[in-house]
Amino acid sequence: MRITRRYIRTVDGLNRVIGRIVMFGIFVMMGILLWSSVSKTFFLPSLWTLEMAQFAMVTYYMLGGPYSIQMGSNVRMDLLYGEWSDRRKAQVDALTVFFLIVYLGFLLWGGIGSTIYSFQYGGERSPTAWRPYLWPIKVIMCLGISLMLLQAISELLKDILRLKGEDIPHEVDA
Amino acid sequence: MSYDMIAILMFSSMMLMLLTGQRVFGAIGFVAVIAAFLLWGDRGGYDIGFSAAMKLMKWYPLLTLPMFIFMGYVLSESKIADDLYRMFHVWMGGLSGGLAIGTIGLMVLISAMNGLSVAGMAIGATIALPELLKRGYDKRMVTGVIQAGSSLGILVPPSVVLVLYAMIARQPVGQLWLAGVIPGLMMAGMFVLYIAIRCRINPALGPVLPKEERDLPMGEKLALLRAGALPLIIFAAMMVPFINGWTSLVESSAIGALAAFLAAILKRRMTWTVFETSVRKTLGITCMFMWIILAALAFGAVFDGLGAVKAIENVFTEKLGLSPWMILILMQLSFILMGTFLDDTAMLVIVAPLYVPLVGALGFDLIWYGVLYTITTQIAYMTPPFGYNLFLMRAMAPPEIRLRDIYRSIVPFVLVMALALALVMVFPQIALWLPESVYNK
Amino acid sequence: APALAQSTIRWRMQTYAGPALAEHVIDPAIEMFNQIAGDRMQIELFYADQLVPTGELFQALQRGTIDAVQSDDDSMASPTEVTVFGGYFPFGSRYSLDVPVLFNQYGLDEIWKEEYAKVGVQHISAGAWDPCHFATKDPIRSLADLQGKRVFTFPTAGRFLSQFGVVPVTLPWEDIEVAVQTGELDGIAWSGITEDYTVGWADVTNYFLTNNISGAWIGHFFANQERWNEVPEDLKTLFKVCCEQSHYYRQWWYWGGEAALRVNGPKMELTSIPDAEWDTVERAAQAFWDEIAAESETKAKVVEIFKQYNADMQKAGRPYRYTNA
Ligand code: NA
Ligand code: NA
Repeated sequence: MRITRRYIRTVDGLNRVIGRIVMFGIFVMMGILLWSSVSKTFFLPSLWTLEMAQFAMVTYYMLGGPYSIQMGSNVRMDLLYGEWSDRRKAQVDALTVFFLIVYLGFLLWGGIGSTIYSFQYGGERSPTAWRPYLWPIKVIMCLGISLMLLQAISELLKDILRLKGEDIPHEVDA
Repeated sequence: MSYDMIAILMFSSMMLMLLTGQRVFGAIGFVAVIAAFLLWGDRGGYDIGFSAAMKLMKWYPLLTLPMFIFMGYVLSESKIADDLYRMFHVWMGGLSGGLAIGTIGLMVLISAMNGLSVAGMAIGATIALPELLKRGYDKRMVTGVIQAGSSLGILVPPSVVLVLYAMIARQPVGQLWLAGVIPGLMMAGMFVLYIAIRCRINPALGPVLPKEERDLPMGEKLALLRAGALPLIIFAAMMVPFINGWTSLVESSAIGALAAFLAAILKRRMTWTVFETSVRKTLGITCMFMWIILAALAFGAVFDGLGAVKAIENVFTEKLGLSPWMILILMQLSFILMGTFLDDTAMLVIVAPLYVPLVGALGFDLIWYGVLYTITTQIAYMTPPFGYNLFLMRAMAPPEIRLRDIYRSIVPFVLVMALALALVMVFPQIALWLPESVYNK
Repeated sequence: APALAQSTIRWRMQTYAGPALAEHVIDPAIEMFNQIAGDRMQIELFYADQLVPTGELFQALQRGTIDAVQSDDDSMASPTEVTVFGGYFPFGSRYSLDVPVLFNQYGLDEIWKEEYAKVGVQHISAGAWDPCHFATKDPIRSLADLQGKRVFTFPTAGRFLSQFGVVPVTLPWEDIEVAVQTGELDGIAWSGITEDYTVGWADVTNYFLTNNISGAWIGHFFANQERWNEVPEDLKTLFKVCCEQSHYYRQWWYWGGEAALRVNGPKMELTSIPDAEWDTVERAAQAFWDEIAAESETKAKVVEIFKQYNADMQKAGRPYRYTNA
């Protein structure tokens, strides 16, 4: 029980900190895109802006994903769910969270394969004129997916604790 | 098992899993990766999910998503729409139902400054709703007006739904956005007409504002009109360089987000709380969208791999022997039906890749269909049991407004929207005239 | 789906081309293969980015998520020494017939087979496509007009063209038409005029530059090594024959199409850079070849073959080459 609670505290805390840093990534993306329009208007268009903005976007939603789960931003179809009691919700969630875990597991499986590939043959590069190495973004993606997995497990543990009658606060509304 | 059977099985198990109330992206993604693994697992079928993430990275128009979401939150959280509301309040208050009509006007202006419906909902529910209730407006009229008005956010440019549609249909966003302008204004006009007629028949639904409240000196009244300039400036800052080709789509969205952000700072509304809330909620909603799209892309790749699009086309054209128009109408109906219990984003990324190629194959204009599609999405967004507007309304409305009121309030507005849908179907030029005149110089 | 015998070999193949182009460059060959192979083997064809994104295509082929691929080396970013020569190697060839000659008579075929064997992929057949021209929104009449143009092109061609101020942009193939309209691109340097018309790029650009940076695209058919080994010999032969058929179809389809659309095409205005000025680009290509040759032994070998071939053609004179330069 104590380990469970410590796991929840650690994972939620870690993902919250990462999420709260990554959320300012909106300004990174905005900055890159604004620089792109400025450089195009006044100098030569930059080679790297669009791709860099894409990398920033991937980092933003991958690393920010666990915090969005904490905030309860991920919609559910609440046709039936909305009518259930908190206990019923916890019961069903404790089972169906395995959908999420399996999906994330497959994502990670594919991600690790693709990341290993990106280190082979002298390093995979993006087939663009800028030619950035692809392993950094793939590593970030794998990290994001792993954190999502940890968060999904934390959600499961929280539901189990709720079913045992403990008062665990619900997702804060975002 | 035949591929058609697998496709049907996949679709129905996804619907079933969605019903359990698990996060939408988890349910969709689960079906996708399991199906891919069962079908192609012996040959690396496990990588379809991650492949979709690489595909998603290259979908550059999605960069507009966080920008438009941020714009919406800055507008709603900083309450810079207060002045706009006051403007409509004073100028329209003298009419029977005038405040409700003014609210529609407010919603049109807010729609021009953001790409989703959520901002309009939030602004409507926090600014307009309490004022209208205080003035004795009928509660069903009020909640209906706000929900219907906010739905314009995805039809009037900029629109995130039309960006997503553009990605799927591979049609130019600029033309799609322009195609949404006139139908959007037309629909707003029809809402106004409906309110005016209802309030004329029964003035108790929307009482005239007391004279002293709206009787300002003419100078002050005119000064209030300045508030209307703000949305026009933000809209122009974003759209003029884009339509002229000076900046690209994604760059324009960043300019729009910057413009909204600067406006809030200049109006001294950008407190730390407003800033933090906007930034945090932007992350939440962007993640919600991106993870659903990610899962749906994997689902779509497997579905595509099964030739499901061709199978559906066969059912419609060969087995049922329907005419193109019959198929189109049937598709819109099934769309609305699915939309009543599916979230609009999920619907967009799952249903659109199936329907859009079929519409193209039937010889219909895909710009025009983009508008039909968006109006249908609006209707789906409005109708219970699933819709953000319903959740938001429930969360934001005072307790005297009950769920039943919220559900009942949308009925007349959905009928108006269905009428607008029919008009655009019968007269495609309502949508196509503007993009054709701007782009065919 | 048709009922198939349990023993039917089923392949998934993905092409770099979208449906409109595939109708010419691949659909007929695969339909022919399926018709003849019948119950014994069926190939399901997927278009650009349909099953896996182009960037992941090579890994998917290695792993077997996809059994066969039609693509050039360059845009699928294959991790081989010969990647830069696929697609458009600047001024590597003048006519589409140069490509099969280079592969069958000058030894490129062996080099390719060897390089792909190293990464566990079967190289089946190389063929020629169309020449590489600019299609742009604004006219190009001098090298100065290239400055700052954001152009969708092949990685290697982009690397070469950037010295003239071109800003190469790489996007998913299917998104190009829209990207021109949304202002992400000023133009395209990816194909000849036939493709511009076929895939819809002629609808969003106004000008076609008659100078080309290469006479023919080099593209291939590849298969996952294990899958290829499992196929019986006669079906392997049938597949190769269908590849050859596909190459032949493109020879006349592009050759005739290029001329016909230049003369009769209503959508694009032709412009040219004077030969004397264009010569700067041709000379820059020589330096670029040397730069590539310096990168590795294999690359040096391939560049040597290109040099030898072009020198031979020059000596052969008309109709092989019309200029003395
Ligand atoms: Na909008
Ligand atoms: Na709904």
